[in-house]
Amino acid sequence: MERTEIAEKIKGILIKILKHENFEIKDELSATDVEGWDSLTHMLIITDIEELFGVKFKLKELNKLNNLGNLIDLIISKLA
Amino acid sequence: MIFNSFDFLFFFASFFILYWFVFVNNLKLQNLLILAGSYFFYAWWDWRFLSLLIASSALNYFLGIYIGKTQNEKHQRYLVLIGIVAGVGTLLFFKYFNFFIDTTTSIFSIFGVQLKLATLQLILPLGISFYTFRSISYLLDVESEKIEPTKDWIVFFSYISFFPSLLSGPIDRAEMLVPQLQKNRTFNYNLASEGMAQILWGLFKKLVIADNCAFVTQAIFENYTQFSASTLLLGSFFYIIQVYADFSGYSDMAIGFAKLLGFRITQNFNYPFFAQNIAEHWQRWHISLTSWMTEYVYTPLSFNFRSLRNKGIIISIIINFILVGLWHGANWTFVVFGLLNGCYFIPLILSGALNKKRTIAKDKLLPSIREIMNMGFTFSIVMLTAIIFGSKNMVEAFGYYSQMCSLSLFTIPPELKSQIILLMLIMLMFSFEWMSRDEQFGLIYFRKKLGRVGRWCLYVGLIFTIGMYMQTNETAFLYFKF
Repeated sequence: MERTEIAEKIKGILIKILKHENFEIKDELSATDVEGWDSLTHMLIITDIEELFGVKFKLKELNKLNNLGNLIDLIISKLA
Repeated sequence: MIFNSFDFLFFFASFFILYWFVFVNNLKLQNLLILAGSYFFYAWWDWRFLSLLIASSALNYFLGIYIGKTQNEKHQRYLVLIGIVAGVGTLLFFKYFNFFIDTTTSIFSIFGVQLKLATLQLILPLGISFYTFRSISYLLDVESEKIEPTKDWIVFFSYISFFPSLLSGPIDRAEMLVPQLQKNRTFNYNLASEGMAQILWGLFKKLVIADNCAFVTQAIFENYTQFSASTLLLGSFFYIIQVYADFSGYSDMAIGFAKLLGFRITQNFNYPFFAQNIAEHWQRWHISLTSWMTEYVYTPLSFNFRSLRNKGIIISIIINFILVGLWHGANWTFVVFGLLNGCYFIPLILSGALNKKRTIAKDKLLPSIREIMNMGFTFSIVMLTAIIFGSKNMVEAFGYYSQMCSLSLFTIPPELKSQIILLMLIMLMFSFEWMSRDEQFGLIYFRKKLGRVGRWCLYVGLIFTIGMYMQTNETAFLYFKF
């Protein structure tokens, strides 16, 4: 799966959970840049990503993520 | 030695001179001075518990190094567990031992078994809840490779015992404070002047607002059966203002003193009474504790319960908040306080309201009617729940609530007349904080807007207000007992 395709799918999840589109999808995007993406909504987003891509994350992996680019890299590594 | 005492003024003035004039170009000596000063500051209260602080620092220092050295994840986990068991075990012993004994005895007595377990006369070592949490987060962060272990023992010991935040927080993370301890520091006039202003603002909140509120609430909480329902409501209003002004005032002073030494430490309050709902309130209240609990308790829990989706979040939040409550002390009042706060999240989670965030009164002077209503509703919940927090036990808390459920609730409390000035001072505090709501503390807006003369008039006015309205007796900070 291409990076752009993964990014678009994540965008869809973010819109569904956060109920707004006030963010621009790019590798540098971090949770703090997006209104409503906080510790409480984070796990809902992660669970949707796991289900959509059919992957399972470890907490240690999630703790190391700094931005969307890292998350996409992690998904790619899991899909490989 | 509390911040608002002459002992501390003398200590800090001497420290400041040595720090900036004698050891200014020597980082190692500056850090050694921080360490020696912090231990002196701690020993001033009770030198016997200094050994506990040193032993805890030494254990975590070596554990951190070994966790960093070993590549084996299992070994790393065991080393972290040693640190957690030692830290939490000490905390449990000093803070919760008698609570555990009393609870066990009560449970057995329900089944007709009378246990005779002895309780101990224990003194709670000051600041233990704060430095234990600092140490645990350090070990977990080293394990997760978020930070490198600190090899310089002076830096590490200074981080754990940094005196501005040693007794009552903020609970600084190593990633925030350690790099600042490792870097050469030069005197920054702007930072120091901002620190002075923040100390002044903290003093105003503590000496004028918190102590005067305490004077009223103490009488009401201790004799709640003798007052009308409306007075009890007024008492609960003054109590939540007291807790806020006391603890946020302390935090402002701690941050201000750190700034005078060239450090930026964690912001602990972000105007919680302007929150639009209870979730936002907790994101703005005692931030260093709530963010600690979010990262090290809530996140692992919600990760493990994530397949349950909203139910998983609710379970994690409730456990998290019961622990937040218990952190404050060994009393069922704190457990119920935490449980209730956790339950307040349920409607927000189920309705999806958590997911929608808006900046309050963005680019506007005043909030909208809806924002005012949200603030008022959130404040009311927080205020009424705080009655449990402020009661000695659950029986008193129930007594207070039941006394409030009377028609006298709709009368004007007789005590109101004598508290008009205090109410005006509270209004003044909130007005300043509203204007500075996008900044770190309540004076920043006017510091930026006013010229030099205006600024000094403001400072002199505040000092004058403190002099006029402060209580004469020196009172300790509420959060010292936690």
